[in-house]
Amino acid sequence: MAALFSGAPPQGGPGYSFKQTPTAAPSGERQHGFYPYTDNGGSTLGISGADFTILAGDTRSTSGYNINTRYAPKLFKIGGEGPENKGARIVLSVVGFAADGDALKERLDTIVKMYKYQHGKPMSVSACAQRLSHILYNKRFFPYYVHAILGGLDEDGKGALYSYDPVGSYEREQCRAAGAAASLIMPFLDNQVNFKNQYMPGSGTGHDLKAKAAEPLPQDHVEDLVRDAFTSAVERHIEVGDGLQMMIITADGVHESYTTLKQD
Amino acid sequence: MAGFDFSNHNRNAALHAQGVPLPKATSTGTTIVGCLFDGGVVIAADTRATSGPIVADKNCEKLHYIAPQIWCAGAGTAADTEFTTAIISSNLELHALSTGRKPRVVTCMTLLKQHLFRYQGHIGAYLVIAGVDPTGSHLFTVHAHGSTDKLPYVTMGSGSLAAMSVFETQWKRNLSRDDAVKLCADAIQAGIWNDLGSGSNVDVAVITEEKTTLMRNHLTPNERGRKERNYRFDRGTTAVLNEKIIKREEISKYVTVHELQDDSVTATAETMDVDS
Amino acid sequence: MATGVLGEDGIHVDMNHLKKGEVNMAINFKDGVILGADSRTTTGAYIANRVTDKLTQVHDTIWCCRSGSAADTQAVADIVHYHLGMYGITNDEAPTTQTAAAIFQELCYANKDSLSAGMIIAGYDHRHGGQVYSIPLGGSLHKQAYAIGGSGSTYIYGYCDANWQENMTEAEGVKFVKGALQEAIKWDGSSGGVIRMVVLTARGAQRHLYLPDQRYEGPGTQ
Repeated sequence: MAALFSGAPPQGGPGYSFKQTPTAAPSGERQHGFYPYTDNGGSTLGISGADFTILAGDTRSTSGYNINTRYAPKLFKIGGEGPENKGARIVLSVVGFAADGDALKERLDTIVKMYKYQHGKPMSVSACAQRLSHILYNKRFFPYYVHAILGGLDEDGKGALYSYDPVGSYEREQCRAAGAAASLIMPFLDNQVNFKNQYMPGSGTGHDLKAKAAEPLPQDHVEDLVRDAFTSAVERHIEVGDGLQMMIITADGVHESYTTLKQD
Repeated sequence: MAGFDFSNHNRNAALHAQGVPLPKATSTGTTIVGCLFDGGVVIAADTRATSGPIVADKNCEKLHYIAPQIWCAGAGTAADTEFTTAIISSNLELHALSTGRKPRVVTCMTLLKQHLFRYQGHIGAYLVIAGVDPTGSHLFTVHAHGSTDKLPYVTMGSGSLAAMSVFETQWKRNLSRDDAVKLCADAIQAGIWNDLGSGSNVDVAVITEEKTTLMRNHLTPNERGRKERNYRFDRGTTAVLNEKIIKREEISKYVTVHELQDDSVTATAETMDVDS
Repeated sequence: MATGVLGEDGIHVDMNHLKKGEVNMAINFKDGVILGADSRTTTGAYIANRVTDKLTQVHDTIWCCRSGSAADTQAVADIVHYHLGMYGITNDEAPTTQTAAAIFQELCYANKDSLSAGMIIAGYDHRHGGQVYSIPLGGSLHKQAYAIGGSGSTYIYGYCDANWQENMTEAEGVKFVKGALQEAIKWDGSSGGVIRMVVLTARGAQRHLYLPDQRYEGPGTQ
């Protein structure tokens, strides 16, 4: 999936939000253009465990060097009852262009709710995941400029996590970081969740050394990893900060929490 | 004086035409300010350096020495502010030596503006110059293209709007030294909190007729918190594919080896600032 | 923004540098000349300096109004200031306004491709009395009864044409300049701040200042 979404903005489209304002040519003639996208910065992250899934995102919304707000949630409950999504078991996180993220959330939420009204049972995470892919691909030539992550529990009660590129390519994964600081957080997750580049001390010599096998991590351990990932990203990425919103999906439902992050 | 070396210009132009991007320079995305007070002048700066959206240095120094009683705060391209202030500092010291007089702030400002104008804005240095000389206390700004302004309070950099909003609401005539320091620190903080290009700590320099006081990390409102987990790896976590041991006798043929007095002391050839 | 912004493709030089989107003028009157200007310096929409002094002395009683790029006009004025200083010392006689204007023209014309500088030169010398010269963008030189310049000047061609009189008194001249600049400040977004004036006569240079919070009526001479 990474082949489709390189993390770079669309070809010929605006660059990073820093310089995307239309600039006048030095000679004086002006070019007019249509810039429907803005990068609102921020980062999200999802990790699935044996019987839980954690989604997290910072709450800062930016444009250029400015902060739009210090509290703009990137995590949304999908389905459940009413505008508060009571009893929802699926969570969507969106990062990128916030307006598209909101529109996408609204669409998916409506569809999942309609599904329950029509079929009399809640939508499964796998069905919801595929439906989200279709919504994204439907706008193949004017994409939702977002990187989405969908989390929940599968039919067996195991943690389920799906990640998407802006035009609907998706796959189920153990963990995924998205958004501005994805390139800072993802290597940390590879190392700490899937134990990449870690070997079992004394299990052999040279090439025979055994790689440390990935195993499902306990929930409190994963929560700590998420917090550390974000406090570290805040140190080194200017678009990440202000607050950390977390949603933990277990058989008991969705538990939401908020902690502050550095505001500089 | 040699000046710049343009021998790679044609190669780089050809490379750029083929679509190879220019290297990213470290920018001090910056809030810098200055303010006159009764008996002197204060300048202040934040300490964040960025490269695009990435924080390149969390505690860099943007207050540059020009002369004992003339200091400069720099915004723009980090290398440009560093080298222009250094070369002007050098020229000003030679000038002071040959005239036998203390250097003046206007002289410094004129040297800077003429240097920057010659390079037509390609040297991306945006500076706040402050100092006390026999003619009094002075405060100037110099833009990369070579224009200058003289004002009682000034701001520059990406956080200049946030900082100026503090000055335009709080500044008053005949400030005391402490009030001026407080006002400048507040202006920098406006940049730190509201401008993404600025962050971390507040550096302040106070220049009076008697002395210059550099208050490095005057405020540190952004200290790094403790991590939830310990990320020390067990010895042997990284695979060792091959190993070569060079004995002291062999290496001393090429370099000088100093014996350490104590095993607990670590050898340091050069000290470097490392984040704790 | 005032910083050299770094784009993804490396160092980006800020072409949107300090402009003095402004208004300024100089007029002849009975006893000499009067220069006047607003005080706004802008970088894009941001006012980088709201109390700028755009009236620059290049000799005792030869001054200029700068408009266009702040860096370019300051550099040109500094060079002319140097030349006139040398002229005054070597010839033991003050340069004439015409000489000053000719040096300005030389610089503005020879470097027309790299300068964006519009200058109005006004001065008083004992041989010719008061004189006003204008050097627009291409580097041509025009001797005029009065000259107006800067972005805001387009708003006051009518005002100046309707109210101009030859051989005004000093008070009438100050009223004329102030009235014109007030109109320009009112209508032009990139002009504003205080009104600065310099009156050049046989008695020397006299500065005036008029503040918006005193409805441009005071404090007057300084």
